[in-house]
Amino acid sequence: MDKSEIRSKIKYVIGQILEKDVSEITDDSNFVFDLGASSMQSLQLIAAFEEEFGIEMDQEKAMEVQTVSGAVDFVSACLN
Amino acid sequence: MSLVKFIAMDPFNQLMTPRFQVHKNNLEKLFYPRSVAVVGTNNIKGTVPYDILYNILKAEFKGILFPVSPGEKSICSVRAYKYVIDIDYPVDLAILVFPAQVCHMAMEQCGQKGIKAVVIISAGFKEVGEKGRDRETQLKMIAERYEMSFIGPNCLGVINTDPAVCLNASFARKMPEEGTIGFLSQSGALCTAVLDYARAKHIGFSKFISFGNKADISEIDLLYYLKDDEKTKVILLYLEEVSDGLALMRAAQDIIIETGKPVLILKSGRTDAGASAAASHTGSLAGSDEICNAAFKQAGIIRCANIEEMFNIAIAFAYQPLPKSNQIAIITNAGGPGVLTTDAAISEGLELATFTEETTLLFKKYLPATANIKNPVDVIGDARADRYNLAITGAMSDPGVDGIFVILTPQSMTDIDTIAHEIVKVTEGYTKPVYTSFMGEADVRSGVDILQRNKIPHYILPESMCRSFARVCSFKSDRYERNLQVKTFSDVDKKTVQSIILKSLEQHITFLSEEKAVEILEAYRLPIIQGLVANTSAQAAEAAAKIGFPVVMKVLSDEIAHKSDVKGVILNVTTQMEAEKAYQSILHNVNISKPGVKIQGVYITKMVNAGREVILGIKRDPSFGPVVMFGLGGIYVELYKDVSFSVAPVSESAAESMIHEIKAFGLLNGMRGMEKYDTASIKSCILRLSQLAMDFPQIQELDINPLIVLKEGSGSFVADAKIVLQ
Repeated sequence: MDKSEIRSKIKYVIGQILEKDVSEITDDSNFVFDLGASSMQSLQLIAAFEEEFGIEMDQEKAMEVQTVSGAVDFVSACLN
Repeated sequence: MSLVKFIAMDPFNQLMTPRFQVHKNNLEKLFYPRSVAVVGTNNIKGTVPYDILYNILKAEFKGILFPVSPGEKSICSVRAYKYVIDIDYPVDLAILVFPAQVCHMAMEQCGQKGIKAVVIISAGFKEVGEKGRDRETQLKMIAERYEMSFIGPNCLGVINTDPAVCLNASFARKMPEEGTIGFLSQSGALCTAVLDYARAKHIGFSKFISFGNKADISEIDLLYYLKDDEKTKVILLYLEEVSDGLALMRAAQDIIIETGKPVLILKSGRTDAGASAAASHTGSLAGSDEICNAAFKQAGIIRCANIEEMFNIAIAFAYQPLPKSNQIAIITNAGGPGVLTTDAAISEGLELATFTEETTLLFKKYLPATANIKNPVDVIGDARADRYNLAITGAMSDPGVDGIFVILTPQSMTDIDTIAHEIVKVTEGYTKPVYTSFMGEADVRSGVDILQRNKIPHYILPESMCRSFARVCSFKSDRYERNLQVKTFSDVDKKTVQSIILKSLEQHITFLSEEKAVEILEAYRLPIIQGLVANTSAQAAEAAAKIGFPVVMKVLSDEIAHKSDVKGVILNVTTQMEAEKAYQSILHNVNISKPGVKIQGVYITKMVNAGREVILGIKRDPSFGPVVMFGLGGIYVELYKDVSFSVAPVSESAAESMIHEIKAFGLLNGMRGMEKYDTASIKSCILRLSQLAMDFPQIQELDINPLIVLKEGSGSFVADAKIVLQ
């Protein structure tokens, strides 16, 4: 899976969990500061990424990811 | 009497720093904002971000409120903005409730918006470790760049009860009553307990501030703000650590001297591991809590043992006028409590006033025959409101009475509520303070409530009442009697001291044995006995003869801190032969106890059998700077730890207090017909040591143990000394 596919899936998942239109989600969007993710929603995002990509993420490291582009890089690294 | 403020002596004057001025300008916006933005709020009830906003609304904040929430269109029916920079109106104060990881982003936007005052509620900063500390540093850099000031992070918030604002920017459960007590706390959790405690007792606050990690605005800035705050009469401070002790002392002194507002402190963390690691006697005795005690006392700060004591004293200051003297009248409806109160009053240093004939006649005429009309006045068990009225009025009018204590015990006929109302009524218009103690709990509750609502100090126990009154009395007398003038000696030889210290440090020697220590003390004109160093037994004999018998012989080594421990001291050497033997013994003993240690020789001084031994010392505290110690020597310091401290620079009156306040002072002062000793010489030594400590920050610890004090007029001299450099 290339990065652009990962990116669009991630944005789709974020849109679902945070109830945002994908058009509002940019690569630089910070989950909390720009998209309003609560701490519960942050955990939900991790679970949703794991399910979407069929991967298992180190929760502590995953919680440090703050932006969409950060998530893309993180998932990409997990897949590889 | 001229008062030279502590501030004049301090080269690091906090008031001159740019950040202090920035804070001074911004704190007004923080406490009296016309508009507030809660940045990072949400719609999840029971969370801090929601509750903060809700509390501001609930308290009926008089300004404009802007929720900032990237996830919501509105919070509590108030339109929300996605970013603080989207707000199309000036914002005076921002409350940040975002998670720590993104606070810097919010702070940056606040800076861009021109917001000058911020309260950062969020946790996850220096209290969690290095990552958190870095986040805090980032916030400070942004604040400096935009000339902003922030409270926190990791705090409960701030409250201003002024009806012009009504700001509850905190996640405390309820807004406190309006009052005249300013409360500052380093612990947010304690704040909530204090608020609940105060609410039950109708204790009101002017300002209530949890300052958390104090990464930017510290308690010092807030003290200065409250100094000038017209709504604040009394200042309470809860601290867990004293970061800048000198600044705290200075702030308190400025407040007390300029405004007369009392400063009460509750400082936790009384146990101390630091003292155990010290090399000198002074160092081991001067634990951080002892130094805090001394520093607070010196600055006029009233240190409290617990929350209850703090508020007991605070309400005395806040609600009632200061008494003119410690002469009190006790009015009670029961003999036993009257006696208890009398006992407590006397033990706190209060005095029972003697009534005038007029007062006595009044009581005799109108009180029952079985009543006690002398002080304490017992209006007896069946007393109702009218009898209390008479007794209180009579005592109030008596010129010899400057404070009234009213005790009530709930007998079956006691009309508690009516008496409470009567006390409130009768005391209006008088300038003498009235304190009350309705003893009990359940039956007296409603009466106590009446007293508390009407700002009559009430104490569950007469003992607390007496202690509080005594503290108020001593604050009042201290305020006007303290002379802070610091003497500077111009006859000191700084060059010699500098040279000794520099040479030692160049050779990595941090422990200065007696010879060098005495040389330094001599340069600062402390009285010393000349000594000679011997490097052979023959030299020892010759030196001893030259000095004159008897002599004391001590090992001289930069590696031996406690000479007696290694049997390196021999007293009362009376002949040259003894001197030769003593020399050999000393070297032998030291070689056994500390083989291989470097010895510079044996130091020989005259032995003086007269005089009293005292101990003097310096310890450099990380927070308060150099602290001078004094005590009687020998067992008085070893067993009883009977010592006193003062933070340098020590004023003349502080030096005198140090001498007077040790329990064994009587032994120096000619008790029971004994000799008086030269305390003036001790005072001079204290002041010179203070100056030495201020002039040479390289001195970490210094012990003069003992200073032999001769009889009055005959001076004193240093019999042994050591110095530890840093």
